[in-house]
Amino acid sequence: MNKCALNRDDWAAFLSGDLEEGRRRTMAEHLEKCPDCRAETDEMRRVLEKADAVKAEIREAVASVNWEALPVMIADRVLANAGKPEKAPRASWLRAWALPLRMKPVLAGLAAGLVVGAVAMYFALKVPGPRSGQDTGYYASGDFLDRAELTMARRNTLDYLEKSQYVLLDVFESAGEGAAAPAAFSSEQARDLLSRKKYLNAQLERFQMAKAKAICDQIEMLFLELAQISGDLPAAELGRIRGFVEERQLLLKINLVKKELQSEI
Amino acid sequence: MKKFTAIVGLFFVLSAGSGLYAQTSPDETLFREAKLLVFDKSWEAALIKLDDLREKFPDSPYAGQALFYKGECLSGIGGRERDALRAYKDYIRLTDAKASLVEESEGSIIDLAFGLYEKGDASALRDIEGRLGHVNKVVRYYAAYKLSLVSDKKVAAKAAPVLMKIVESEKDPELLDRARIALLRVSPESLKSVEDRKPTPGSPRMLKIRVWNKGQKEPAFSLNIPWALADLALGAMDEEDRAELRKKGYDLNKIMNELAKSKESILKIVGDDGSIIEIWIE
Repeated sequence: MNKCALNRDDWAAFLSGDLEEGRRRTMAEHLEKCPDCRAETDEMRRVLEKADAVKAEIREAVASVNWEALPVMIADRVLANAGKPEKAPRASWLRAWALPLRMKPVLAGLAAGLVVGAVAMYFALKVPGPRSGQDTGYYASGDFLDRAELTMARRNTLDYLEKSQYVLLDVFESAGEGAAAPAAFSSEQARDLLSRKKYLNAQLERFQMAKAKAICDQIEMLFLELAQISGDLPAAELGRIRGFVEERQLLLKINLVKKELQSEI
Repeated sequence: MKKFTAIVGLFFVLSAGSGLYAQTSPDETLFREAKLLVFDKSWEAALIKLDDLREKFPDSPYAGQALFYKGECLSGIGGRERDALRAYKDYIRLTDAKASLVEESEGSIIDLAFGLYEKGDASALRDIEGRLGHVNKVVRYYAAYKLSLVSDKKVAAKAAPVLMKIVESEKDPELLDRARIALLRVSPESLKSVEDRKPTPGSPRMLKIRVWNKGQKEPAFSLNIPWALADLALGAMDEEDRAELRKKGYDLNKIMNELAKSKESILKIVGDDGSIIEIWIE
């Protein structure tokens, strides 16, 4: 058995990369000089890697065990083995501990399960803080909620601009066909968009999205008009709307602001 | 009033040329010109025309709407919020007020009241609180949303019942997300109770994120939010944390999908600086 005075509690942390820097360096320097410790560390690392690799098999093995019959079975085997000569100790404590498991797959599975459990427990206990079932309430910092609202403002503005484009293009297409447009439909869409715009106003101002606000305000004025219309809109009037929107290059401006917002999301 | 007067009014002057002025009455012409000025945010000039219209043609069919646009101008000018409030309230009281403009006026009243509150007039909040029970749900919802932003948490909490109703019954995802975030601000426990009442068998309910700085026992960042807001939470993650994840080759969307499938499993990421990010779902 290794007689070095290194703190063995540090070994698992060292292998998982969680050891504090100063102690990690001390251990790394010691391992360079001490072949015994190096061998043990290598062995431990291999076991941990294998344990990780056989997680699924362990789960299957554990599921296949008849837990009710297991105590009786173990007792029978212990009694059957009583009186057999003790085996000589091996060079490594880890190898000596692991060897019998090679002969008994169920025990090997259980032992590997213990290793995996211990590693999981190590990670669970290593990092402080609440775990599943311990804190069930909702909470988020004001800073986080602000950032979440900024994300939402960008997405919703983009959505608003896209929908506005559809409404305007609807109007344009109708004008192009020379027929009356179903203005009641546009009016309903316009009202829906106006109600969305209310929420955007506050956010666009809060997050200083000036360009987006300017274009959204212009669209809002158009929709205020559209929202008051019922019945069909004559082709001549649709043509005038198109003329107005083209003169102000509203669709171009919408596209430019959309591009900017898309790059930020 | 003719069916399409409003829309024609806005675009007539610009696109049809001066000859068409002859076909419209002077009050209509004034109104159209004023609206074009409103569109261009020339508030003062528009206000002059609107006042001119109301003074010269008090019986004009456009005199009522002129009040609404007057409210818009006064809001835009700045410093005249109380005058703007009065204009909108006057418009709402008109018997021939248009439903869409009334809705807009209500929203503007809420915005103006909130602005006055932020400038130190706590009594202005009465205009918002009074609209929490409005018959029009668009107005009711907006009042609740704005009230949730009030810095006095006790007052803001008055918005909780309406916000809970939105989370409980609304289908619109945009409104739902806003209501959830607003409730997280004013009353997280109310959000929890309403989310828990929703039947969502088998699907994740809560996303938890913790970030520990190296050597610290208390997390530097803690978050417990409804799973429904997970997408927004990722969007709102600190850019440094996102960069750290990207550097390590993690795809956040993939991570969320994997976590959602495996339920309660924990993703742990250790940064080069020793910080630890944990993400898990319950």
